[in-house]
Amino acid sequence: MGIPSAPLVTKAFKDLAILNAAKRGMPHERICFTPHPVWGKTPEEVRAYVEGPDPVSGKPLMKEIVDALTVPLSDEDKKGGVVTVSTGPATFTDTADNLQEFYLNNGYTDFLPIILPTEEKVDAMLKGTSHKPDETVGKMAAGAYPPWSYNVRQVAASAVMAGCRPEYFPIVLAIASSGMASLFSSTNSFAFAMVINGPIRDKLEFNYGIGALGPFAQPNATIGRAWTILSKNLGNGGIPGDTYLGSLGNNLNYNNVVIAEHEDASPWAPFHVQRGFKKEDNVVSLFRGLGVVPGQVARGSSANENVQFDYQMSDLFSTFTGFFGALIIADPLVAARLKEQGYDTKEKLIDWLYKNTTQTVKDYKSRNYAYLFDYPRALRGDEPWASWYKMPDDAVIPHFPRASDFNIVVAGGQTNAYPQAGNLSYGVSVSIDKWT
Amino acid sequence: MKRRNLLALMGMSPVALAGVPALASQDKKTEKTKKGAPSAGEPKLTVLNPRGLPPPITLVPMAPRLSTLDGKTVYLVSDGFPGADAFLNQVSIWFKKNMPNVTTVYRLKAGGFADDDPKLNAEIKEKGQAVIMAIGH
Repeated sequence: MGIPSAPLVTKAFKDLAILNAAKRGMPHERICFTPHPVWGKTPEEVRAYVEGPDPVSGKPLMKEIVDALTVPLSDEDKKGGVVTVSTGPATFTDTADNLQEFYLNNGYTDFLPIILPTEEKVDAMLKGTSHKPDETVGKMAAGAYPPWSYNVRQVAASAVMAGCRPEYFPIVLAIASSGMASLFSSTNSFAFAMVINGPIRDKLEFNYGIGALGPFAQPNATIGRAWTILSKNLGNGGIPGDTYLGSLGNNLNYNNVVIAEHEDASPWAPFHVQRGFKKEDNVVSLFRGLGVVPGQVARGSSANENVQFDYQMSDLFSTFTGFFGALIIADPLVAARLKEQGYDTKEKLIDWLYKNTTQTVKDYKSRNYAYLFDYPRALRGDEPWASWYKMPDDAVIPHFPRASDFNIVVAGGQTNAYPQAGNLSYGVSVSIDKWT
Repeated sequence: MKRRNLLALMGMSPVALAGVPALASQDKKTEKTKKGAPSAGEPKLTVLNPRGLPPPITLVPMAPRLSTLDGKTVYLVSDGFPGADAFLNQVSIWFKKNMPNVTTVYRLKAGGFADDDPKLNAEIKEKGQAVIMAIGH
């Protein structure tokens, strides 16, 4: 804008603020800091913050602000030009133990032991695709940062580290090509999920039966892990205080929620077919949100003669934030029961859930996410939030903005009729076949 | 951690900030690791650096500063995180008490917290001379 500004940031985000300003071209940005947190404080406490010192510089905060706007610029502050940033040499040489330690100490891993990406192992991984090692795969950022770019060879290194076999590599490339990192900067400690569809599930022996979401098959385990390792190495994600701010973190980030759909046991169309792919296509679909909860906690989930999973799911979803979507992970027994109830397509169930999972405007406005994310969109005139914010408190509105916020996949071993549900939004579906 | 050290960590050395574009060694083919235990007699492996390629950074010259805030209009902008409005209200009160010749205008930025708000930017450019922006939490 060409107008002097003084950014005010709480102390907890010092590193993030300085580094993000630098990445965006202003390494000397005059950032002023307040104690943390600001929210929830009384006016007296906030006044004390304003009249007190900047906790980083120790100088009076308001003097810092006034100085940020009025002290003349130095030559450094006025500097333009382009700066390249290095991530180091192309290879490292040392003993295996030292290299494990080196990768650990430099944040290249998920802090579990890795398979070292030797030239031999990376070459073997590269045989899993017809794409050239130097071909650019995509760009990735772990939040609102300038994205990093990477090629097939660099993706192969992360796939090796995660323990993937070469035949898994097209799936890892498809994930990497999406540009969606599985580690995100938000303080919310996001979780991520992927749904695998197509014949590749059987070819690679994915587990979609008993323990479908657990550590019981190599492709489920290692491809999920590869997503997180590549998000660190290729998207620069997962650096606490810099590109990762999740207050509690999320255990699901170790290998994410990997769901190979149990297509044969499902009474409905597979997820990728709903997204316009053919049944014989191999596709990975990615989701982002807050996590997964068991359906057993829903009201109406006690065993009785007339189990109604639609009501159970609606009850569960009413506790979710509508900022993210709702992903139903239905055991085939659940899916079969829903079909008996009359839901012979996923779309019919989604339509019912969208119309029957509701809230009052008053309840909606009381939610943290509504104030944080929807209200600013309402101010911009984005629908449906702009209309919702004009309605009376007792008006009833959908819990989720769109029917398309609901998604359904089928997986599990049919040992019991339990669903799980993710407060997860659909992101993108990517062809795996394109990367073979 | 100090700003200088933080910037060095991201591979952006003070030398680079002084305008020399070439930093450490994309062209340097291999490097011995410096950390870890002594490795006498053990076989050595060569492994790939798994990191991607950060984009070059285009330095943005900072906007000229004002000689004084007296008589100027300062926009107090919240990005929408809870508490920013209350904080900026106290900033406004501070100005009234300590620098009464400064006019403050509070605005909540529209759109997602990382989104631009072109309408507000245009308003500030037309009517304001400085911005104090409160960014979470």
